[in-house]
Amino acid sequence: MSERSEQGLRTEGLTKAFGGVVALDGASVAFRQGQVNALIGPNGSGKTTFFNCVTGMIRADSGRTVYHGRNITRAAPHAIAHAGIGRTFQLCRVFPRMSALDNVLAAVRPVGLLGRLRGARNRAEVDRARGWLTRLGIEHLVDVEARNMSWGQQKLLELAGVLMGDPETVLLDEPAGGVNPALLDRIGGLVRELNAEGRTFVIVEHNMDLVMSISDHIVVFDRGRPIAEGPPSVIRSDERVLGAYLGV
Amino acid sequence: MPSASDPATTSAARRPAVTPARAARGVLLLLVVVAALSFPSLAPNPYVLSAGILVLNYALLSTSWNFVGGFTGYISLGHGALAGLGAYGTGLLVTKAGLPSFLALLVAALVVAALAVPIGYAALRVRGASFVIVSIALVLVLLLVFQSWASFTGGSRGLTVPRPFPDLLRPEHHRVFWFLFAGLLALALLVWWLIDRSRFGLGLKAIREDEDKAESLGIPTFAYKLVVFVVSAGFTAAAGGLYALWFGDLDPVFQFSILTGSYLVLMALLGGVRSLFGPLLGALVVGTALEYFKVEYGSTPLHLVATGLLLAVVVLFMPDGVLPAVAAGIDRFRPAQQSIREVTAAELREQRAGGAAAETELAGARPGGAPATKEGA
Repeated sequence: MSERSEQGLRTEGLTKAFGGVVALDGASVAFRQGQVNALIGPNGSGKTTFFNCVTGMIRADSGRTVYHGRNITRAAPHAIAHAGIGRTFQLCRVFPRMSALDNVLAAVRPVGLLGRLRGARNRAEVDRARGWLTRLGIEHLVDVEARNMSWGQQKLLELAGVLMGDPETVLLDEPAGGVNPALLDRIGGLVRELNAEGRTFVIVEHNMDLVMSISDHIVVFDRGRPIAEGPPSVIRSDERVLGAYLGV
Repeated sequence: MPSASDPATTSAARRPAVTPARAARGVLLLLVVVAALSFPSLAPNPYVLSAGILVLNYALLSTSWNFVGGFTGYISLGHGALAGLGAYGTGLLVTKAGLPSFLALLVAALVVAALAVPIGYAALRVRGASFVIVSIALVLVLLLVFQSWASFTGGSRGLTVPRPFPDLLRPEHHRVFWFLFAGLLALALLVWWLIDRSRFGLGLKAIREDEDKAESLGIPTFAYKLVVFVVSAGFTAAAGGLYALWFGDLDPVFQFSILTGSYLVLMALLGGVRSLFGPLLGALVVGTALEYFKVEYGSTPLHLVATGLLLAVVVLFMPDGVLPAVAAGIDRFRPAQQSIREVTAAELREQRAGGAAAETELAGARPGGAPATKEGA
């Protein structure tokens, strides 16, 4: 089969069932490269399962994921990360008993035996890690263990770690979940900034104000597959979307 | 207690090269080396020296175990079997293949390291309690094999391994082996330290904290676990081989014993699995206690009762081990690193400006509730 030399992330007929529950039902989605994409839908519509399939954390029953024309459906999660797709988790995951600095340094990808045996705390990488911590506003916590941080700080730390891996495409699973309005603004602004620097985003989010204000393209999920897509202005008035959300 | 307004922002790069903590560590290391070098001369009789070698052997095994247990958090109760394989491998290569003693030791360690690839490939696919059970199965399977295959291994009658230095008298023999064990332990500690500070080591520690998260960040977790398991198996087998050459008599019941593996875990947990010298300290305490109980109470199972109690106390009151508990205890009596007065008003203003956003965020946030690590099991 010949692959078209197309850009970006797309899926074809991704299907995943847990026992009798069909979480993904032939989901085919093409995300817009270089834009901020949002993935919305009611609870249980398969958004997180979709993320987990795309990043290789769980294996889809059928269908495939293509990134820049390359089939990554059966690739290991670390290989997908190396291909340029980074992700955060819905329930923010950091390394609790490691300092903020080590949390970020863990995303460094050494090559070869000697590269792996090199000191983790070398000047160049420590500077780069501190750079991300500074940019996310948690530089003062550099030596603090992640478990001693607040929820919001942990979310920022997780994002710093993901960005340390320099992903071209960033999948954020509910970045606004459980954070206060001031931090929400900062995360939104950061996403736009990073997008302007050339990173593609796919964001699962329930906060409609955030979704409408930062996305270029919105995909709406219901019962394991996309039911609508388009710019915010179109999605806002789509009848199927209102139906899915309001249960009409 | 760290908080956003803490001035504890000193970084690794800005820290002075010689801190008091670092100097203390250097002095401590020197003391350990001096103690190790002078013990054979100080030991009042050969029995004490041989008991010392047993403790050193435990320290070596426990440090070897800690490559897997400390870095990745995978608790293996099967390391006794890897040591047994190293011991029998060395013994059989000397008696059946006629290899020189120390060449046999090296070959046996390499063979066990190679065997650790398929063993690890199977065992490291499961986590937590399942991994513990698989590692126990390894011990039981090998015990049966080595007991039943009597024509090759000597079975329950045991295997006698010829001494590498037949001309040496017993006290001299102990002396030489003390230094051999100490040398191998030093090598194991050096490699552990090198991994600890490396990018590879950071990846392993990330696996210990959250394996799926580590994988999603781009760490090839399975390959990392397998490599460190092989390194651990190599050192464990070398320790077993050295024991075979020293002790000269192997019995499957003692070589493939779940107790051995449990002792190693207890020692490492007691001392602290995150510390370079944790397992060594644990072996000093537990190994000495085991010898004492065996001498005082002989064949009664009292040493097992004592071991069990100790394990319960460690898990309940010092889950991180003695070394971190002691360090925390010392910290409590030390004045805070920087008092408020050491920060000038100008510096404070600067910090406020820098951390303002974070502070507003912190104000409404809950105090850090740490997710439980998988080691809690």
